[in-house]
Amino acid sequence: MDTTTVNIIIDGKPYAARHGQTIMQAADEHGFHIPRLCYHPRLSIEGACRVCIVEVEGAKNYVASCAFPVSEGMKIHTNTQEIRRARRDIVELILDNHPDDCHTCERDSNCELQRLAASMGIRNRHFKGEKKHYEKDLSSASVIRDPNKCILCQRCLRICSEVQGVNALSHAFRGFQTVVMPAYNLPFAESVCSTCGQCINVCPTAAFVEKNCTQELFEKLNDPSIIKVVQVAPSVRAAIGEAFALEPGRNMEGQTAAALRRLGFDYVFDTQFSADLTIMEEASEFLERFQNKDRLPLITSCSSAWMKMMEQFHPDFIPNISSCKSPMVMMGTLVKTYFAEKMKIDPAKILSVGCMCCTAKKYEAERPELRVNNMAAVDMVITTRELAWMVKSAGIDFINIHPESFDLPLGLSSGGGAIFGVTGGVMESAIRTAYEMYTGETLVDIEIGALRGFSGIREGKITMDKDEIRVAVAHGLGNASELLDIVRKNPQRYHFIEIMGCPGGCIGGGGQPYAGVNSMPLDENILKKRAEALYSIDRAKTIRRSLDNPDVQRMYKEYLGSPLSQRAHDLLHTHYAPKLPQGILPIESTVK
Amino acid sequence: MAENTTGYRYYLTLCDGPTCMQKASRTMRETLERELARLHLSDKVRILVSGCLGMCQKGPILIVNPGYAMYGRLTEEAVVRIVEEHLFNNRPVLDFIIDEDHLFNKFYRVFGDVNFFGKQMRIALRNCGVIDPESIDDYLCVRGYEALAKVLSVMTPWEVIAEMKKSGLRGRGGAGFATGVKWELTAREKSDVKYVICNADEGDPGAFMDRSAIEGDPHTVIEGIIIGGYAVGARNGIIYIRAEYPLAIKRLERAIAAARAAGLLGQNILGTAFSFDIEIRLGAGAFVCGEETALMHSIEGHRGMPRPRPPYPSASGLFGKPTLINNVETWANVPVIILDGADWFATLGTKTSKGTKVFALAGRVNNTGLIEVPMGTTIRQIVFDIGGGVPDGRRFKAVQIGGPSGGCLPEQYLDTQIDYESLTQAGAFMGSGGMIVMDETSCMVNIARYFLEFTQDESCGKCTPCREGTKRMLEILTRITEGSGTAEDIVRLERLGALIKRASLCGLGQSAPNAVLSTLRHFREEYEEHIQHKRCRAGVCQAMLSYAITDACTGCGACRKACPVNAISGTQKTLHVIDQKACIKCNNCFVTCKFEAITKS
Amino acid sequence: MATPLELIKKKRAEAINRVISKGYLSTKRVYVGMATCEIAAGSKEAWDVFKTAIEQGLTNVYLSQKGCVGRCNLEPTVEVIENDRMPVKYGKVTAKRAQEIVERHLKKGEIITEWTI
Repeated sequence: MDTTTVNIIIDGKPYAARHGQTIMQAADEHGFHIPRLCYHPRLSIEGACRVCIVEVEGAKNYVASCAFPVSEGMKIHTNTQEIRRARRDIVELILDNHPDDCHTCERDSNCELQRLAASMGIRNRHFKGEKKHYEKDLSSASVIRDPNKCILCQRCLRICSEVQGVNALSHAFRGFQTVVMPAYNLPFAESVCSTCGQCINVCPTAAFVEKNCTQELFEKLNDPSIIKVVQVAPSVRAAIGEAFALEPGRNMEGQTAAALRRLGFDYVFDTQFSADLTIMEEASEFLERFQNKDRLPLITSCSSAWMKMMEQFHPDFIPNISSCKSPMVMMGTLVKTYFAEKMKIDPAKILSVGCMCCTAKKYEAERPELRVNNMAAVDMVITTRELAWMVKSAGIDFINIHPESFDLPLGLSSGGGAIFGVTGGVMESAIRTAYEMYTGETLVDIEIGALRGFSGIREGKITMDKDEIRVAVAHGLGNASELLDIVRKNPQRYHFIEIMGCPGGCIGGGGQPYAGVNSMPLDENILKKRAEALYSIDRAKTIRRSLDNPDVQRMYKEYLGSPLSQRAHDLLHTHYAPKLPQGILPIESTVK
Repeated sequence: MAENTTGYRYYLTLCDGPTCMQKASRTMRETLERELARLHLSDKVRILVSGCLGMCQKGPILIVNPGYAMYGRLTEEAVVRIVEEHLFNNRPVLDFIIDEDHLFNKFYRVFGDVNFFGKQMRIALRNCGVIDPESIDDYLCVRGYEALAKVLSVMTPWEVIAEMKKSGLRGRGGAGFATGVKWELTAREKSDVKYVICNADEGDPGAFMDRSAIEGDPHTVIEGIIIGGYAVGARNGIIYIRAEYPLAIKRLERAIAAARAAGLLGQNILGTAFSFDIEIRLGAGAFVCGEETALMHSIEGHRGMPRPRPPYPSASGLFGKPTLINNVETWANVPVIILDGADWFATLGTKTSKGTKVFALAGRVNNTGLIEVPMGTTIRQIVFDIGGGVPDGRRFKAVQIGGPSGGCLPEQYLDTQIDYESLTQAGAFMGSGGMIVMDETSCMVNIARYFLEFTQDESCGKCTPCREGTKRMLEILTRITEGSGTAEDIVRLERLGALIKRASLCGLGQSAPNAVLSTLRHFREEYEEHIQHKRCRAGVCQAMLSYAITDACTGCGACRKACPVNAISGTQKTLHVIDQKACIKCNNCFVTCKFEAITKS
Repeated sequence: MATPLELIKKKRAEAINRVISKGYLSTKRVYVGMATCEIAAGSKEAWDVFKTAIEQGLTNVYLSQKGCVGRCNLEPTVEVIENDRMPVKYGKVTAKRAQEIVERHLKKGEIITEWTI
């Protein structure tokens, strides 16, 4: 990076900036937070909203500070009466074409536009006129699209294209009619959308929200004829505190379990338990394939958005995908079989709920091939955000509630289950177990540094006996596609690959709490704190490897037999098929 | 060759101006007559003597017609050969044809309607309407590709750029950026791949300059692009043209194929190390794709939307590579500048704007048409001399220059000179060259509304001021023309206009309010009349009209029957009346009445 | 080896010979405007009239198309260039007018002044 110093003047005072910085970056470093809206540090610069305009002496027009580079001697005015009025008018123009329904909006008090409008002091409306009107798209199991709330900042389509590489969204039409939609304006459910929900995360308003099922769940929770069972994904506990204005990174495991009981659940289980189970199956599957040199690299299958994307865009890799169901579905399956049998409950009476950091899990829960004995393994999925709202709605003192434990027999987990929520965690956990399965020895150094961190694609090597296992990890669907391209070019390069659909892994899932007042969605610092919460759970556990989980061991002994047994195969494994949504032609040569 | 009716096969014009005379044109005549006699051509060739042809430094001059072959620097030997080869054997003697002139057809430039053509000067359009655009031979005859050959023979890329800078040519697409500087910036970039683009995405309503230029003389544009490629070090040229121009596309394709076949495009052009080829990309006709960054997005296969600059295309353009992008008219000027020299070109026009400009003259003017005038020509000369004034004895009201991005200038600006700065100062815009003349039957508020409707429709929807702001301005204008405007609406228009102009992302948005701001500046009283008195002086805004029946009414009842809302009453053979409250101003009665008894005001 | 300039001059000489061999030096040359706008105004019909006349034996006429000369309100335009006479440009040349031009101007040498521009 060019570090040449550039002298600039902001609002009459001299400051140093670096060559190549934008005005916004330079101003940020000196305590000027120029108002902004479409800007997102992870995404390309659009310069679309024009909220961040400043005056630069000598320039004919205002310049968008997010896009314009600093230069020597530049005189910048961020706060003149004229520029303040121009910004105010721009924000009013956005509001004038936005529903005035803040009180009843899902994003009320979590809305970037609302905050911006408040800070602009827009008290009168000068330019009111026609507002756009579109039908909401309710077709998707995961994501609701409401173009009426859309302010065309393009963050959704940028994250969908630049970070996720899915390109499910684009503009259509022009002028006032401009709208963001999937190709051919297909219902979202029929589009290539992977259901990851990152559009929800980055949307400054409520143009994208998850398909909310809290009302339905409240109704069921009040039905005494139903046995209410819930499972909690690792990342929920690492992030839900943020929805209650706690510092990011607080582990709220015990509070979450306690609150779920207060909400009316009869059994509160931990998805980390089934994560341990996943490791038993997946590590065994890997070792079997590794020894037989069969369909390598093995690719993990925990992330449901990744599964949908893979079936749509990378069906040539279907043979490589682990046949293991996701931890949520394994848990749901066991709840309706093992647990029901053990407790002598009619599984038809069980309501199996997943409390997830993820919107794609809502879609996954509806996949027909994952049904068990003609029942859904998971009947309903709520996101972290929905859980937080339910807790507030029910009047539960989440912050001060006394922590409680998960219920047995599906509530005990190893540290390896906890780190499932962070990118690299599944791989790390799998290696901890596979190493011992393969070598018969215990892996001493179980924290594998090469697999931690947030760079998009990471690689590692582990030596088991004399064999070298080459592994790779990718998070975010865009990185996943990139990694697969590497494999296409060099199929021998890796033996084992972990892919997580969301940036940072599940901790960055599409169902996590909205960014707070002083942070941006997908802020890497927040992701790091959430990751640290999971790593600290791991460190605090005496059992850190899945195969040491005594309840998992008992389950195999009592019910499943051994990993990859027929019963395990029937209950815990699945299959995949190419899915080619409308508009995508099969590429014969790439389908094996 | 068969005898023609007059008996003469050739007409020779010998310059007898003082300089040529001094240079022995008289002895040339003697030689000529002697040689003609020798070959028994005396009765087949007629010799005419002209006054000074103004080519003194090349004299003595001899012009042979038909064909308008101009021979210069005549010597005895030359005359002998011209008679033998051209007049006897019908083969022009290229050795003596003087370079500064075109072999064929030059004088057409000013023939015919002297008023229409006399004030024009055709550089970009020099061959339009003169040669067969589908024949590369025709183009070669008029010194086609000679500029390219000259550049490849004797000029380095930097010399070409220096020549372009010296010429003072500025971008004809509208903004008027110095062409030579643009070339230099692109040439300075170090890159393995560079692109040269011709922007033929002509989108202004009523503008057809680019289409006509390409349809009339595609090779000129192609030659310009190749020279640009040589200057900046590019091997790939792209012509981005809208798919609505099928004939222009066909002629471009033919011209490109012919140029390739002639070794003027492709590998090792004219036997040199320079290789360059051109491909055509079709646009779907979005106005915003005339904006260079949107155009490049479109070529890349994305939705045509502009992006912030910098980086400018010269540094990071098409596919992230340095890109030189000029519009059709700019490219068409290049071969002439190279051939006739930057010094000559720079003598044309004004201090800041050199050369000529093509305009599509339309609207309330007698001679509508495509014209090319030297910079510095006044609007009055264009409208009244070339255009022949306003028809039907009506009064000139305004001229709209620059299409949707431009502005309306009233009568007192008629003596404004055509150049980039003067037009901008007056509140208009050079634009790509639309010029619409309006008379008193045009309502300026409605005109502003029309253009804003266009820009709002064509806004790409990316930036807030342009997408939302123009919509609000359009709503305000609509309500003013419908008679429900308020005094604050003018303040709102000015506030929004100023915002959109300065805060929008691209040129489309930045110029979108011009139509409103310029009419507010020059025709404010019309806005005020619409708002305060609910009156449209041009009688255009339907909602403001009131219909009345005069004494000429014969009581035939036709209007009564035609009225869809029964607002007209009256019995047979008596004067009918219109109920003003019920009238919806549909104009049916006005059209129906055979006695001109219905007035609207 | 020849320089590009020498090459282009040679190409031009060849082009001129080709144009001449197509009859460029005929006594009368007829140019029909064939830009989009002219075609829309009906210049193809006019072209066909001239073409047919030549096919049916009208000699010493060189027929060619040309681009737009800018007289929008007078399209289609046709230009007749004759030795020893001012070139003539006709406006609004319908098929009917084109036929008249063939008969009166091209065959009899009469300039139809009321249609000239």
